[in-house]
Amino acid sequence: MKAITQIRPILLLICAGVLTFIAAKEMLEMRKPDIIIPSEGLTQKRKLSDYLNNLLNTNGNSDIYIFDSGEPGANVLVLGGTHPNEPAGFISAVVMTENVRVMKGKLIVIPQACLSGFSTTDPLEGSPQEFFINSKRRFRFGSRVSNPIDQWPDPLVYLHYPSKQKLSGFETRNLNRAYPGKPNGTFTERVAYAIVQLIKKEKINIAFDLHEAAPEIPIINAIVTHEKGKDIAATSVFNLEFNGFQYALELSPTNFRGLSHREWGDATDVIPFLMETSNPIQGRLRGVTNQNLIINGIDKFYNEAVQLNRLRITYRVEGESLAHRVGRHLEAFIEIINAYNEIHPDNTIIIENLPNYGDLINNGIEKFLN
Amino acid sequence: MSNTKFLFIIVMLNIFLFSGIYSQSNIVFEKPVLITSAGQSADITLASMLCKKINLDHKAISTAKESDLSGIKTLIIVAGYSSKGLGAAGVSREDELKRIKSLISAAKNNKINIIMMHLGGKPRRGNQSDEFNKLAAEAANYMIVVKQGDEDKFFSKIAENKKVKIDLIEKIADGVNPLKSIFNLN
Repeated sequence: MKAITQIRPILLLICAGVLTFIAAKEMLEMRKPDIIIPSEGLTQKRKLSDYLNNLLNTNGNSDIYIFDSGEPGANVLVLGGTHPNEPAGFISAVVMTENVRVMKGKLIVIPQACLSGFSTTDPLEGSPQEFFINSKRRFRFGSRVSNPIDQWPDPLVYLHYPSKQKLSGFETRNLNRAYPGKPNGTFTERVAYAIVQLIKKEKINIAFDLHEAAPEIPIINAIVTHEKGKDIAATSVFNLEFNGFQYALELSPTNFRGLSHREWGDATDVIPFLMETSNPIQGRLRGVTNQNLIINGIDKFYNEAVQLNRLRITYRVEGESLAHRVGRHLEAFIEIINAYNEIHPDNTIIIENLPNYGDLINNGIEKFLN
Repeated sequence: MSNTKFLFIIVMLNIFLFSGIYSQSNIVFEKPVLITSAGQSADITLASMLCKKINLDHKAISTAKESDLSGIKTLIIVAGYSSKGLGAAGVSREDELKRIKSLISAAKNNKINIIMMHLGGKPRRGNQSDEFNKLAAEAANYMIVVKQGDEDKFFSKIAENKKVKIDLIEKIADGVNPLKSIFNLN
């Protein structure tokens, strides 16, 4: 009896040790960087710390891929991974980085704008940590916000700088509530500040922030822009519709601070666009939450909701696949660039070798990864 | 019932049923034109672009007030709710409803014809949008609606009850043809 009571705690300790080891191993897996193999059109690779020195040696030091044609023209910025749990934004930026050739003007891509958020997942969501495209390319599925290891603790109320707008404390780590940022502010404010500095220093004319949202969110399949981008956005909505893509046009609210489409436009000369696709893995109705849901976007509960006519958005029975969502982002990007070129014929950008929606649906994303 | 009586009833019924539609479809829509929003969706920009495409001179004021109706002959109301749009305009939902009601009332008092356009499809339907949609549709002398927003016949039923003409279009861009036609710009 005495021997059993002595062995039991030892066994429990061993079990706890094994579980801790497995959990720690899984957690550390999230620190392994994603591999991005840029196209031959890459002319320079920089870091966010080049625009704000105090990001050096932090998890906010995102890679920046620059494709400079050497020919004067428009300067374009694309952000993916502002919210690392919105993979279509991230993968669209990766597909751009791995394929484009810029013939006129300059394209700058930051596929993982909130790099810190890629090193963790959101608590209580049961999200997968990673997903594979064609089983050979692994990408992380992260958190909506910066990792608390980089910014902690959260205040009860987040006071946006400089507007003093009050938001829930959790939003203090949300990059898309932190613009225009602060050079000596919180970790997330510093990342936001560096991005705004990049926009200013690189004289960016037009900038994109690629997102996703739950299917039940009303602004799904939308292009949100600052008032200075409404003609470009309207032209592209017409052209997209002509090609079979429905988009809602939304204007950035002036009284909701911290968002890219508002603050980039107010703080700099850039014309900002934010785009959303429908991502069932973020939805509240979803069932099994795994990498299959990221890739194929099929969820039986959303299907049921569609049958019951309880969803206002178009949820397709065949699912909202990653290829479909990335395809929509790229198609809208192409049309917005076309509209920009049409409206600004004296300052255009020419980007080649970028796959469109049809290319992605017909060949799969894997065909466009190096 | 004699054949003559039957024929008489049929003829009267036809006159009764179709006289409203006939008269409404022949309303002449004249310039100057003011475009406004009901619900502050950015679809007003799309409507304005449609007008530009057919060279229809117009003013587009998303938060137009009664005073903006001075000299106006046709008011185009682009219906559809957008929380972002309300934020962009800096108005509340209640303020917006109040503005639209008084604008419609002023337009009616000044005998200004009203066109309702619904361009946003399904995303501009549902609880939040339909109050604006109904207000604008019930006040309209004519409607242009993207079909997807009328799958449940929401607008068609209003058009039928009010005996006004409605043109259902497949795509936003298709809005140019009915606009050209009603403003005699062919």
